[in-house]
Amino acid sequence: MNRLRRRPLAFWAGLAAAVLSLLVPIALNDSQLTVYVFIGLSVIVVAGLSLLMGFAGQVSLGQAAFYAIGAYTAAILTRALEVPPLLSLAAATAFTAVVAVAVGLPLLRLRGHYLAFATLAFQLIVLSVIGEARGLTGGDTGMPGIPTLSIGPLAIQGQYRTFIYAYVTWVLVAAVLLFNRNLVRSRPGRGLRALATSEAGALAAGVPVVRYKLQVFALSAAYAGLAGGVYAFFVSYIAPGSFPVLLSVQFLIMAAVGGLGSIWGSAVGATVVYLLVQLLQSLGTGPGLPPQLPAILSYAVYGLVLVLIMLFLPQGLLPAIQGRISARRAVSAVESPARLARLD
Amino acid sequence: MLEVEDLVVRYGQATALDGVGLRVERGEMVALVGPNGAGKTTLLNTISGLIPPAAGRYRLEGRLAQVPEGRQLFAGMTVEDNLRLGAWRVRDRDCRRIYDLFPQLGPLRRRLAGTLSGGEQQMVAVGRALMAQPDLLAVDELSLGLAPLVVDALAEHLVRLNRETGMAILLVEQNARLALELCPRAYVLEAGRIAASGSSEELSRTAAVRAAYLGGAADEAAATGIGS
Amino acid sequence: MTLFLQYAVSGIATGCTFALVATGFVVIYRVSRVVNFAQGVFAVVAGMAVSSFLSRGLPHGPAEVLAVALAALAGLVVGVIAIGRRGTPPLASLIITLGLGIGSYAVIILIWGDQPVSFTGLAGLARMGGISVQYQFLLVVAVTAVTFGLLSLFFDHTYLGKALTACSSNPYAARLVGIDVRRMGLLAFTLGGALGGLAGVLITPLQPVSFDSDVGIAINGFAAAIFGGLLRPGTALVGALVLGVAEALVAGYYRASFESGVALVVMLGLMVWQAGRRSPAAEEGA
Repeated sequence: MNRLRRRPLAFWAGLAAAVLSLLVPIALNDSQLTVYVFIGLSVIVVAGLSLLMGFAGQVSLGQAAFYAIGAYTAAILTRALEVPPLLSLAAATAFTAVVAVAVGLPLLRLRGHYLAFATLAFQLIVLSVIGEARGLTGGDTGMPGIPTLSIGPLAIQGQYRTFIYAYVTWVLVAAVLLFNRNLVRSRPGRGLRALATSEAGALAAGVPVVRYKLQVFALSAAYAGLAGGVYAFFVSYIAPGSFPVLLSVQFLIMAAVGGLGSIWGSAVGATVVYLLVQLLQSLGTGPGLPPQLPAILSYAVYGLVLVLIMLFLPQGLLPAIQGRISARRAVSAVESPARLARLD
Repeated sequence: MLEVEDLVVRYGQATALDGVGLRVERGEMVALVGPNGAGKTTLLNTISGLIPPAAGRYRLEGRLAQVPEGRQLFAGMTVEDNLRLGAWRVRDRDCRRIYDLFPQLGPLRRRLAGTLSGGEQQMVAVGRALMAQPDLLAVDELSLGLAPLVVDALAEHLVRLNRETGMAILLVEQNARLALELCPRAYVLEAGRIAASGSSEELSRTAAVRAAYLGGAADEAAATGIGS
Repeated sequence: MTLFLQYAVSGIATGCTFALVATGFVVIYRVSRVVNFAQGVFAVVAGMAVSSFLSRGLPHGPAEVLAVALAALAGLVVGVIAIGRRGTPPLASLIITLGLGIGSYAVIILIWGDQPVSFTGLAGLARMGGISVQYQFLLVVAVTAVTFGLLSLFFDHTYLGKALTACSSNPYAARLVGIDVRRMGLLAFTLGGALGGLAGVLITPLQPVSFDSDVGIAINGFAAAIFGGLLRPGTALVGALVLGVAEALVAGYYRASFESGVALVVMLGLMVWQAGRRSPAAEEGA
């Protein structure tokens, strides 16, 4: 009955957000459009990470590694092997998921706290492998000249390049979010929600816990791989430095701000955090200001946001607002699992 | 000694205790019986200060120590360390009193608590609580998982302590027969409420209590008395 | 052979600093069940603080002691924020320590800048059995040995130390006997901060630290701590020495850039091996 009363509001809000985000690019200039694309790519990564943290209770500090794997796979396939970009993108997504399965199979048996360190280690290993495999990746100097996305003879280039990328990203974001929404409402999704409440309970209820965790991990990696592939085509130059550990932390912050396990929250979290960081960068750079100021500001904000969110809004920004609205409308349950408590 | 009034405890949405009232007088032995999940352990943990009550209040004169259900020893630590940690709130950490009370424990003092038998572990658990020099000892499921002979011996110790030192005892038991025999007065806790209270003698004559906790007449004839 | 010994000795010295960081992880994890992501920061802060104190004219000795005290204070602050609030779940605490680690970069860059910092420790070389050993190496080994001795005295022979162990063994029972488990957690964070600080004070003369050196320090320390399942300081010490020597040999005989890879691979391998021995359901109850 909660659904019936709440659905209209959520539906209209979602529709408004969709229409608005669809119209926004028209009003943006090229550099703003670039920001738009980067936000969209972050939303895709965060949508996966949020699912992983919210439902499988795993903290990944290596999401940027999957982003990097997607980017490098797409780049190498198109540039060195001349595979059509769209096919490369699909292959990059699939390959990242396969890597995640191979890595996750042993790692996901670990306790939550261990996995955070393990994924961090995984990212460092991936970065050093990329740096060492010079023949394939160009090593630390990176890979320039990655072709742009194209379908047959139609390539995204010219005056409207960024504009078109903005819409490509929008379509991908919409697809990922809708997929997440349907996933959570499906039968496996109910199992996932049981998993979110209590792993032992889910296990007892016959939910294949290890397999579900692995699948969510692979899905989150696939999203990151997809976003990474688009990133490579969009910026046409990648290097290990494009995928620092800090990027993983940034994804984590976005997921935490949006609310772990909150599907629309990942869009909100990614947008808010990205714009905040952009704002700080522009505030911190200017004549007469110390050159370290942007770095200082972003570190301080990263730290503060993470700590404050975890202490005071552990369910995330969007669910907190939703909760307030629904409380006002005398409707209780928020559709996101507050699952932090489950981990030992 | 202990006065509990209209105590309400909630775990999230679920109400574990719903207006519980209970008294234990100085030097008294009181039983609290009831089925699994009635809220007995919740009540003990609330008066031990581990769970904040949602409503109502409790007043405690003197010190309370709890012998928790399942013994809850520091398994990887020695018997002596377990006992000494029981005295965290008091100055006196001398364990000799406990070894005098339970001579069996003396030779085991350097053994790891987790390696002892169930009965020995329960002695350590009781000893650890006694180290706090309590005025009220709350014992949660003394008999759980122990052989009847072992339970008899432990129960005898408790009765003796109560008589000799005047320490009040609140005995929480699923084994109502044992509890009602040991304690002159009892409360019956069901689904978070006090369902009945009074002298143990009266309670054991009540048909409802007999049917629910003393398991019918045939069973009663077969059972052996404790402490009598 | 001489070369091998030379590598081994330097490996033992770095291994000792890993051991101190690892024990910091262990002490904190045992009591609070939080993996402290800010553990490497304590080392960086203490190392940089010593160089500041020395440049202000403070002599060796007091400078180091003051820096370790500062790191202990940092540990307490991290603890208060991460576990001080009643009912903060461990996973949230973990993310909070991560946030504090990142946030500390801002403070460190503000105070010390973004360039590596170092200071000279014990100068000079000792001749031992055909090889020359830096006095700083010997100092590192000696301080670590003394620290571990004191720690084992503290945990095995003092009432407070046993109360800390009790909190890790059975937090519920610890609360029942009246031990304030949260306060013990804060004590553990303080101790963990001091141990990390000690590592930083010893390591900075050997290799300069910059604001983001904490990741490498923490990774090595965590890898060593994992040897003991994050619970046993003694095993962590052994793990740290093995790791230190292995890294020194890899760096010496193969390539320096592979050095950190050793810790990563060892850590992942160990975690996976340990995970294989336990079921997820049992983990949850633990």
